[in-house]
Amino acid sequence: MEKKVILPITDENGYYQIRLESIGGLGANLCGKMLGELGIKYLGLNSASFSSYGSEKTGTPVKGFIRYSSADLDIKLHSPIKTPHLLVVFHDALLSDTSVLKGCGRDTDIIVNSVNGKDRQELFGEQNYHCVYFLDAQKIAIETKSRINVVMLGAIAKVMGFVELEDLYAICKDTLGRKYPASLSQNMEGIRRGYEEVTSSYEIAQKNRTDKTANARIDETADNKTNVRTDEKTDERINKRTDEAVEKVSCGNCQPSSPWGYETAPIGGINPCFGNSVENDLSPSRQGYFPIFIPEKCINCGLCDTTCPDMVFQFQKGEFKGREMMLNKGLDYYHCKGCLRCVSVCPVGALVRGVEAEHPRKKYFMPNQELLRTPDNYEKAGYDGYITSEAFLTEQRIKGGEV
Amino acid sequence: MQEYKQTIEFANGNEMASMAIKQIGYDLMGYYPITPSTQIAENLDLMKAEGKTDLIMIAAEGEHSAAGICYGAAVAGGRVINATSANGLLYALEQFPVQSGTRYPMVMNVACRTVSGPLSIKGDHSDIMYMLNAGWPILFAHSPQQVYDFNLVALKLAETVRLPVVVAYDGFFTSHQKRRCMRFQHDEDVRHFIGEKNEPYPFFDMEHPITVGSYMNEPDLINNRYQLHLAMEEVKNVLPNIFREYGILCGRSYEWSEGYCHEDAKILLVLLGSSFDTATVAVDRLRKQGKKVGVLTLNVLRPFPEEALAKMLQLASHILIADRQDSYGGIGGNLSMEIRAVMQKYGCAGKVKNLVYGLGGKDFYVEDAIAMFELAEQENAINSYYYGVERGDSKQAVSEQERFFAPLLAEQTRISATVVKEEPTEKEQISENSQITRAVDLQGNKQVIGGQINQTTAMPKRLAPGHGACPGCGIPVNVNMLLRAIEEPVVLLFQTGCGMIVTTPYPKTSFKVPYVHNLFQNGAATLSGLAEICYRKQEKGEIPQGDIVFIMVSGDGGMDIGMGSALSTAMRGHRLLLFEYDNGGYMNTGYQYSYSTPKGAVSATSHVGKCQYGKQQFHKDMPQLMAATGIPYVATVAESNPVDFIKKAAKAADYAKKEGCAYVKAISACPLNWNDTPDKERQVIEAAVNCCYFPLYEVERGITILSYNPQKNGKKIPVLDWLSMMGRTKHLVKDEYKMVVESLQEEVDRRFQRLLAKSESPYL
Repeated sequence: MEKKVILPITDENGYYQIRLESIGGLGANLCGKMLGELGIKYLGLNSASFSSYGSEKTGTPVKGFIRYSSADLDIKLHSPIKTPHLLVVFHDALLSDTSVLKGCGRDTDIIVNSVNGKDRQELFGEQNYHCVYFLDAQKIAIETKSRINVVMLGAIAKVMGFVELEDLYAICKDTLGRKYPASLSQNMEGIRRGYEEVTSSYEIAQKNRTDKTANARIDETADNKTNVRTDEKTDERINKRTDEAVEKVSCGNCQPSSPWGYETAPIGGINPCFGNSVENDLSPSRQGYFPIFIPEKCINCGLCDTTCPDMVFQFQKGEFKGREMMLNKGLDYYHCKGCLRCVSVCPVGALVRGVEAEHPRKKYFMPNQELLRTPDNYEKAGYDGYITSEAFLTEQRIKGGEV
Repeated sequence: MQEYKQTIEFANGNEMASMAIKQIGYDLMGYYPITPSTQIAENLDLMKAEGKTDLIMIAAEGEHSAAGICYGAAVAGGRVINATSANGLLYALEQFPVQSGTRYPMVMNVACRTVSGPLSIKGDHSDIMYMLNAGWPILFAHSPQQVYDFNLVALKLAETVRLPVVVAYDGFFTSHQKRRCMRFQHDEDVRHFIGEKNEPYPFFDMEHPITVGSYMNEPDLINNRYQLHLAMEEVKNVLPNIFREYGILCGRSYEWSEGYCHEDAKILLVLLGSSFDTATVAVDRLRKQGKKVGVLTLNVLRPFPEEALAKMLQLASHILIADRQDSYGGIGGNLSMEIRAVMQKYGCAGKVKNLVYGLGGKDFYVEDAIAMFELAEQENAINSYYYGVERGDSKQAVSEQERFFAPLLAEQTRISATVVKEEPTEKEQISENSQITRAVDLQGNKQVIGGQINQTTAMPKRLAPGHGACPGCGIPVNVNMLLRAIEEPVVLLFQTGCGMIVTTPYPKTSFKVPYVHNLFQNGAATLSGLAEICYRKQEKGEIPQGDIVFIMVSGDGGMDIGMGSALSTAMRGHRLLLFEYDNGGYMNTGYQYSYSTPKGAVSATSHVGKCQYGKQQFHKDMPQLMAATGIPYVATVAESNPVDFIKKAAKAADYAKKEGCAYVKAISACPLNWNDTPDKERQVIEAAVNCCYFPLYEVERGITILSYNPQKNGKKIPVLDWLSMMGRTKHLVKDEYKMVVESLQEEVDRRFQRLLAKSESPYL
């Protein structure tokens, strides 16, 4: 272990904290593991990493947590990271969930994977964060035939400022090289381009980062309160968007409080609100594509309804070519996860694959017709997806970076 | 001479446990995958595939059997390891006193998780406390490093005192968080530390046969139990020596319990597991403010470290014991009760409070520890209570929730699109999409009119959208297909599995009809009871007459561990429908192989490597097992043949409400773990049908009727064509796996030929 990196900034416990916000299937879990291993093996640091836990699903939010400290310090905390120094958003659709930015303050660097970073800038009010960076990791991943997670890894290293490309290549060889030797050079290229192409949108001229480096040396942190943030300080600084989320959250960003407590919840965990999952908006599960309906071509065979796992198709009684039958009236896009089963099953091409970004307004959007009332507020999906097991396929599932 | 060189690992608790197991060189692991301990078996399977260990790994159909396998192997003199959690531990519970009472050493890792129900996979200590009376020493590790160290210590202890030993640690917090750890570089050093195993009564000494497991009455039993008591007392003498010996080798020494700033502390917090480390950060903060606080944890739960604790607790004036578990109706969780007993026994004068916290994996932050220190000191704080519970918002109370849907009563679902007719009188050819259904010519068989796709779209969905299944998941597809054919009110029971998890994440539910979940050993039995009471209540006039179809939905995993319950339910002849969605694996926990996984398929517990080609056994033929119970109706269905599916579903429901048990099995896509793309799943399923891996047929009142014969239509394809469509079996295309594919092809053909023969004779 030749190197001994000095962390540019740490919290009062002496930790540099990174939070990854991602969607299952993008490889954030592996990215977090690589960052952790990088700290131990190549940076001369101590590190700890873990992901949010739960049953494993694709398309649902996943969080990753990495803590670095100097090698002589034990990392004692097991709790999720509330106030990250670096927040990494693997998919800009996640920004629609306000809790994603929770706990980020003026010391926080943020990296967002976004097709068009500029469109997302307004989400980050001025002066709220240390710096916000963007890159189109999806494009880079496709071009380099690597994966989004390695591209993000390159960007993370660049933004952290204390990791060199050589170290990233080394950790990439250690982990990916062993598992998928064939795609190693592509992944290294993905890392390089992530490192080089991440750009900041604006820089807030606040404290000089070099000052911090001097003050936040690990052996001094404990006594140096002026340059060290506490949770309260950061909470004061977080912007309005996140304030709303704070109210919903009891302790920590990972455990939103339930609407039902011990005085209001029915005993035994019984749930009398039948069918209330309809309130969930699952559109963030879509990964760029969605089915487009062309009614002129539809022969109302109903095969789409037999293949849709998400009850998206709305059939009503009507007349087709002089026969009384059930007619396809439209799609409930709130619940469509973009699996495109219907597109491949449709015998007449009445359902085709569309790129979601090109269709901000969807035609033939018909909310679930059995609803007695419209949900007051469709909640963005995001329950219950995470990592419990190192499933053998986790990291190769999405090929060529296509998401 | 051993060097005992060590090397750094960046690993979590499960990985360190697997590393220790591999290095020790166990003979056998009997296990059943359960979160969060599953990774241990997964890691070891990977090592096995790569030729790094020759451990015999036996994936039982449930934890009870896993414990049985371990027991047998231990009696035979093998070195044996197991790993489990939560309800798995409870399911196997009766086996543990057998193991300790007959004095066969082994080691079991328990990644602690909360016990159902309601079902949760997160960590707390409600499972491990059920082990307190089992006669097993219990070591409790609060870091991945300790998991490794304790695994080594545990086996040496087990073989010294001839008792089985548990190594417990926090699920997720310790099992899944990666930390910097040290391990011995060379396996030989580990083996040298453990030493040779000595069997006082070798089982296979044929010249001196022994009887294990006598029947014992009074006065003998109490003497046997006293021997067990003495063995546990012996642990008190032996364990410190083992700890010391181990500490000399690696520089990490352990004691019965462990403290931080406890020597001069006035206020002590006692916590078990990973929370201890978090609390030390709180101690640092409070010490800076001049508060004399400290924190304690236990490294050993059995035998309870009374003397060590008494010494550490002697000087404190205020002690707060936080239990991550409750002994409901007791005086607190088990930890606090035992510590109170220790204090009384040793005359410790401090004031004691206890609370219950962190159940179901509720995160424990530094701020929580600080709050607990404050509570410890407060004079007026109530003595026993829960920390971190929420009252709830009355504005959002259940009674205030407006309904989203109208209830699905018989009027809504009686759409007359699929009608079942009894006893057709003349021979009929039913054709559908050019697929010929065999003539229904046997007296007494049911005939289904309608069942066409367009008309059945009128059926209101019993499942609401918004569930959390992966994009393209086959489970809702199959459940919806089944239910669109059933025009009576339905009651659903889901066994544990993906289908259950994604539809009912509290406080949401996707069910619009009465629904109950039970653990997957027991769903069919539960539905039996449910249905019988319904029929009784209808007889008595307590609820309205009218048909209700009772349906259990289970994955193929539930049909492994719950097969006994399902077969017995079938044999009892309850009027209900058992529906299995078979995606060929335990997908909810990250895809471990099930007994229905195709031979050769890669999974987290059947890796491919130079020493292993994937799953070793053929897929289970559940429909034939069900048919052998003599129930009136068994059918297989596939979404690629939707009309056939709908008609069979209608028939099955008709049998279930009038005659007895019906069983329907669907092959169900899992894009995540089949490792193919969601939009191609129907084609993949069609290929499974066309290669005869998943033949479509019915067994109606004992008569086999083949629904579709791909051979006749010229659609038959080799099994390999199907296997090559999925990432999990793609490797089988390679020449080196030719033998595997050939044997699978042979088995598939054999099963299909048997079906053909059965369909040609009513006597088969």
